[in-house]
Amino acid sequence: MASIELLRRTLERRGWLDDEEHGILNAVARFTPGTNVLAYLAALGWSYQRAPGAVVAIVGGSLPGAVVVTAMTAVAASIDRWRSVRAALAVATLVAAALVLVSAWSLVRPYMRGPRLAWTLVSIAVAGLLILLGATPVRVLLALAVWGALTPPTAVPGTAP
Amino acid sequence: MSLLVLYLLLLKASLTAFSGVGGLPQIRQDLVVTHHALTDEDLNRAVLFGRSSPGPVGLYVVSVGYAVRGVGGALVGWLALASPAFLAIPMLAVLRRWLHQPRLRSALGAVIVASATLLVPSGVSLVRDALTQIASFW
Repeated sequence: MASIELLRRTLERRGWLDDEEHGILNAVARFTPGTNVLAYLAALGWSYQRAPGAVVAIVGGSLPGAVVVTAMTAVAASIDRWRSVRAALAVATLVAAALVLVSAWSLVRPYMRGPRLAWTLVSIAVAGLLILLGATPVRVLLALAVWGALTPPTAVPGTAP
Repeated sequence: MSLLVLYLLLLKASLTAFSGVGGLPQIRQDLVVTHHALTDEDLNRAVLFGRSSPGPVGLYVVSVGYAVRGVGGALVGWLALASPAFLAIPMLAVLRRWLHQPRLRSALGAVIVASATLLVPSGVSLVRDALTQIASFW
């Protein structure tokens, strides 16, 4: 989301994007499964240059980081036989694991405010129950999509363009 | 595990994610629990590297691919990460027409809440694994 905000500022400063178009692209990014910023880039690239624009935007937004991650993983695999490196990695991975939980909270936080709080809590309870019953992630998501469609709100926070 | 199977499993995880690490529960289920192609420690590190590098948080999928099948796996992971983004193109047309529908917005909201809920058991499991590693040094 921070990347999308940076993109908005840069593109608006150049006059390539306005708030209305950004709102639509942001909603597209939220609705599209996968990585939000890549979906945003694909829609942005398509809006300007159709298929070539979408391809260039996706590759440009993901390939450099993919190369860096691959290099980091390869280096870590070759040096983690050293005790000090393993200790440092263990502490760092604890931080990364904590970030997963923080990520969960940042996702649900926009839905924890206003008149839909009860709906959100019930949704969490339903998802939690399905997880406890051993449902796979895909089934949990599908079940909650049906639940959401059957219980339309007057306004769901966080999804407005 | 073949690169095609790895791609399909990582693609499935990417398609079930609505945030950077949203596909983590599915990856853990498929690659750690079911296929034993990865350990929790590998997965934890992949998340760490994904968070530590420039670019989308979802890049941890590339690290997962590398951990399973080396450079070929990393390439497959990148493709699995990038492929769902193309769904944004038809989504753009659909949303321009249907975004005002309360049921569609509600379904999206419920899916996002569910993906957050799914992250909790995965996150707790990864924290437990990291703490076990740290404890082993004392």
